[in-house]
Amino acid sequence: MSSDKKWAMVIDLQKCIGCDTCTVACKAENRTPPGISYNVVIEEEKGIFPNVTKIHIPRPCMQCDRPACVQVCPVKATYKMENGIVAIDYDRCIGCRYCIVSCPYGARSFDFGEDYSREMIGYNEVQAPEYGIDRGKREKGKSPIGNVRKCMFCYHRLQRGEEPACVEVCLGDARYFGDLNDPESVVSKLAASPRAFVLQEEMGTKPRVIYLK
Amino acid sequence: MKSSTRLTKAWYGVLVILMALGGWAIIERIRGGLAVTNLTSTTPWGAWVAFYIFFVGLSAGSFLLSTMIFVFKMEQYEKIGRDALLVAILSMVLAMCFILIDLGRMERFWHALRYWNFTSILAWEVRFYVVYIGLLMAELYFSMRQDLIRAAKGSGWQAALARFLTFGSTDLTAASKQRDHRLLKILGSIGIPVAIFGVHGGTGTLFAVAKARPFWNSGLFPVIFVVSALVSGTALLLAIYVIRSKVMGREVDKEMVKSLAGLLTLFLFIDLGLEFYEFFVGAYGLQYTELATIETIFRGPFSWSFWWVQLFLGVVVPLFIFFHPRLKESVNAITLAAILVVIGILGVRFNIVVPALIVPVLPGLPWGYYYPTLVEWLSSLGIVAFGLFLYTVAIKALPIDTVEELREGK
Ligand code: SF4
Ligand code: SF4
Repeated sequence: MSSDKKWAMVIDLQKCIGCDTCTVACKAENRTPPGISYNVVIEEEKGIFPNVTKIHIPRPCMQCDRPACVQVCPVKATYKMENGIVAIDYDRCIGCRYCIVSCPYGARSFDFGEDYSREMIGYNEVQAPEYGIDRGKREKGKSPIGNVRKCMFCYHRLQRGEEPACVEVCLGDARYFGDLNDPESVVSKLAASPRAFVLQEEMGTKPRVIYLK
Repeated sequence: MKSSTRLTKAWYGVLVILMALGGWAIIERIRGGLAVTNLTSTTPWGAWVAFYIFFVGLSAGSFLLSTMIFVFKMEQYEKIGRDALLVAILSMVLAMCFILIDLGRMERFWHALRYWNFTSILAWEVRFYVVYIGLLMAELYFSMRQDLIRAAKGSGWQAALARFLTFGSTDLTAASKQRDHRLLKILGSIGIPVAIFGVHGGTGTLFAVAKARPFWNSGLFPVIFVVSALVSGTALLLAIYVIRSKVMGREVDKEMVKSLAGLLTLFLFIDLGLEFYEFFVGAYGLQYTELATIETIFRGPFSWSFWWVQLFLGVVVPLFIFFHPRLKESVNAITLAAILVVIGILGVRFNIVVPALIVPVLPGLPWGYYYPTLVEWLSSLGIVAFGLFLYTVAIKALPIDTVEELREGK
């Protein structure tokens, strides 16, 4: 994968129907344990009665260009990759959770070691090849248990030339994924639209997930 | 004599029981990982982090008090000088124990020194702690050296230890004494900025820089940390001094106790004033998360810890005692007040860590809820008992009291 790409995601809130398919697909793709969802869909009511509407805001990790989590990690276990994605090195992370506390988007979760083995036969037998690394079985005392986890734009899928799982399954076709370095890409064009905005802009984190009003 | 040995036995007995319970809890913790806690991804820090900053604060406070003696020559407090240093060291040891068991991957604790992210306050703190503990040990050593040399002449295991620690030096001349004093002054002077800006101000900064948490994210936060450290350190040393004097049947220096109480009152008032600004300026911004956090502190499920522990027990009752015409003359009442202040500051630490992590960072994300589990409580108790145990052993083994005082007493 050439590193001149700078991955970004655009989410059109007008097209999102709040079905949570992205959340489910993400859990299936990354085989995240109970209590961990890299992606959630936040439901928010806007306006004052009787003029109320409901909006749904899907929230993956924003892969911030000025990531608060990277700033605070004492051991550089979480870091910014060339391609714009913020990664976690599971073999270095000491599990201090300073990054969870510091992320303004609540995008990080701690892996307490729970599993779905009762609900799902063989859940512990394989793990998702996050960051392109095959970690074998999910076992007590083995990373990523005891580490912090989060969305990484399905980096392992990007390596195979596929889109992130949430983008692929989105029922409303609300998610766009692409290269922000390429001015001709769909995401670049959408990001320049007057409808574009980012969450918590005042935090100065410069998210790479851009929303359309 | 007899009753005092019985007392000692009972004391050790209690400590051993608590340490055993704590040991069980820590084994549970090691086997079960952080799943044995009530922490979640919404509220990822809890009791252990609160205890960690509590003990870092006690350490910084005690140390700063000791500098009044060794650097600023406020000799009226000389009797608690070494105690202050010893308490500062042991508090740091406990703080490190707490933060160690809090790590998701304890076995990688050394990564914190091996890898260094320059922009991480936590990374800087780890290094400050190491330097600071080294400084404290050196200072305690030089403050005791003369008495160690004297003790080395005796017999028994204490003397053997003293002989080992003095490396055979028998130099008791005025020149060597002066050199020790000079060293103390230098070490203390280096220690002051390290303790204020590095160790405790730094620990406050760790929270203050988290812009995702508006309640912490203020320039006043590190200052409040340092002032509340002075509050808790002074209170603890006062209590320890009185309790130890009583147990050992020595006379309590009432004037010093009263003077310490005065100092404590001053610190308490400054702390209260700063807290007021912190809440007032924070609330005035009408920012959603900030308001929600303040509301959680004032009216949340654990608001009792704010109103009753932090304010009533930790501030109102002690101030009442310190100003009451009769009570302020009673050493016992003052000691009680000091103990309450220490407990109050523990409440302060919990109310710093937890409420800000209950409120979600984005509206619509789940709210947190946190109350420590039995394992968290017992392990904390065990670690505190371990600290008291180390303290008891240390005052037995080392000349923590100045020799003159020992001669006076008994
Ligand atoms: S959203 Fe949070 S976890 Fe993701 S890069 Fe930004 S600060 Fe880090
Ligand atoms: S939990 Fe891991 S990734 Fe997060 S700040 Fe600590 S060491 Fe870094």
